[in-house]
Amino acid sequence: MLDIQNLSKSFGALTATDNVSLTVKQGTIHALIGPNGAGKTTLISQISGYLTPDSGTITFDGQDLLALPAHKRPHAGLVRSFQITSVIPEFTVRDNVALVLQSLNNQVFRIFAKASADREERAKAEAILERTGLATEADTRAQNLAHGQKRQLEIAMALAADPKLLLLDEPMAGMGVDESRSLTDLLDSLRDTTTMLLVEHDMDVVFSLADEISVLVYGKIIATDAPEAIRTNRDVQEAYLGTHELHDEGAA
Amino acid sequence: MLSDKHLPAFYGLGALILVVLPWILTAADSSYLISTATRLVIFAIGAVSLDLLIGYTGLVSFGHAAFFGVGAYVVGILAFHNFEETTFLGFDGTLTGLVVLPLAILISAVFALIIGALALRTKSVYFIMITLSFGQMLFFLFVSLEAYGGDDGMMMFEGRNVLPILDLNDRITFYYFCLAIFTAFFVFCHRLVRSKFGRVLAAIRQNEDRMTSIGIRPYTAKLLIFVIAGAGAGLAGALMANHTEFVSPGLTHWTKSGDLMIVVILGGIGTLIGPVMGAFVFLLLEEFLPIIFHELGMDLLKEHWRVVFGPILILIVLFAKTGLYGLIFRREG
Repeated sequence: MLDIQNLSKSFGALTATDNVSLTVKQGTIHALIGPNGAGKTTLISQISGYLTPDSGTITFDGQDLLALPAHKRPHAGLVRSFQITSVIPEFTVRDNVALVLQSLNNQVFRIFAKASADREERAKAEAILERTGLATEADTRAQNLAHGQKRQLEIAMALAADPKLLLLDEPMAGMGVDESRSLTDLLDSLRDTTTMLLVEHDMDVVFSLADEISVLVYGKIIATDAPEAIRTNRDVQEAYLGTHELHDEGAA
Repeated sequence: MLSDKHLPAFYGLGALILVVLPWILTAADSSYLISTATRLVIFAIGAVSLDLLIGYTGLVSFGHAAFFGVGAYVVGILAFHNFEETTFLGFDGTLTGLVVLPLAILISAVFALIIGALALRTKSVYFIMITLSFGQMLFFLFVSLEAYGGDDGMMMFEGRNVLPILDLNDRITFYYFCLAIFTAFFVFCHRLVRSKFGRVLAAIRQNEDRMTSIGIRPYTAKLLIFVIAGAGAGLAGALMANHTEFVSPGLTHWTKSGDLMIVVILGGIGTLIGPVMGAFVFLLLEEFLPIIFHELGMDLLKEHWRVVFGPILILIVLFAKTGLYGLIFRREG
């Protein structure tokens, strides 16, 4: 599904992505973990096209991803969510989702189609809100949502794009325990239809969802393996965990 | 204060006043003011087109008068060649309105496409500066056109454009013609901002960086609205050239772009009726402040009426957050 080969990206003297090779297999949830500043978001940004790598290749669904402009990647089925919530603040929750549907249906330049008159789009948007637990907030302006709900909306917008591969950049960031649990359930329910690359600090979430885990430290992938193997991997324990237990990370 | 549910009634009342205005003015023996009313309506087209950029898309364009000037010069240059019986790049001049007016819109749109394609590569303050620069470039271009009067501009010696049935040289007919075009443009903009494309513009204004990740290229959408707004300003310019039967580089001067911007802010950005009210108040103050001071015998203020004009504008903007619109309407939700 997604194949990254020898990817590198430097900012001045800092090598944020250091010869990274990574494969996300179709139908799996692949987690990317690593300490703060390891370059996880930088990697996600290169896959989604917000940053251009210095060297290396990314192949998505058989096509050369780096040849595809960032705004065309969602149309190809590659969709990201943001670590820092990024919704359209004055739009209602429903309109935030409807805007994504509009874009993916190639209706951006419809000058004469009244936005509020598209019943089909509205129904689809509401179905997605239903799935993501936001149905009751459909008419709320996004800026008035609680933090956890904004995170849910972020996911709803990503799902509206009907992705083949979902890049999730710390979807649980700042969420309460309950919210985090229901989002975990939601992601779990999507595993049959959507491949995911998940960046997350909450280790409970990572270990309950991931089929495979890659560990990124100082821009380098030091291990890629099944969750159980990662848990017992010496390199990972030394480089990433230091003296901490793996499970404690989630508390931070 | 009215809520924006009263907007349709407000539109209806406004339309009624504008329609009966020539009768009222004639009855009041002030039919010379019909000319002022025509200017108001034309100016309002320009202001509404600018608000599509500033208020609805968040693009602060400081060179909007450039397109106004382009539209006016298309009318002026074609009239000039018609009078001189010469050609422009192989084309005969003409006064035929059905050719001139669409051409003015088209050529303004082309200018907006070229300027927009370059200017929209920048953002925020840089965008303001680059649109200002392009506006001034056009100003100096027109100044340098010696054949068309250079600095002094040129008269349309044969009068206004010619249309079937309508005699635009009749001032009441011309007023209604401008009012009809204004109404059509206003309705067009009303639909545009509520369209799916309008929703994209609103999203770009609020969170442009998010657009790429949902598959929208903001640049293309911004370019399209820049071209539409430029075409609207060109239309207004073409009407203004007909109105005054005179075009000059002054139409594209940056202070005219500033006037348009003030009108939009004064009226209320992000609304359509706001800039219309802004245009009316702006032009009425400009027209009548000197007269009022003259009547009051305050000759110094009559000479320097802008000293009063400026603070009035500032007070309105300070005390009404969305300008005149905000003074009258309270937004729902």
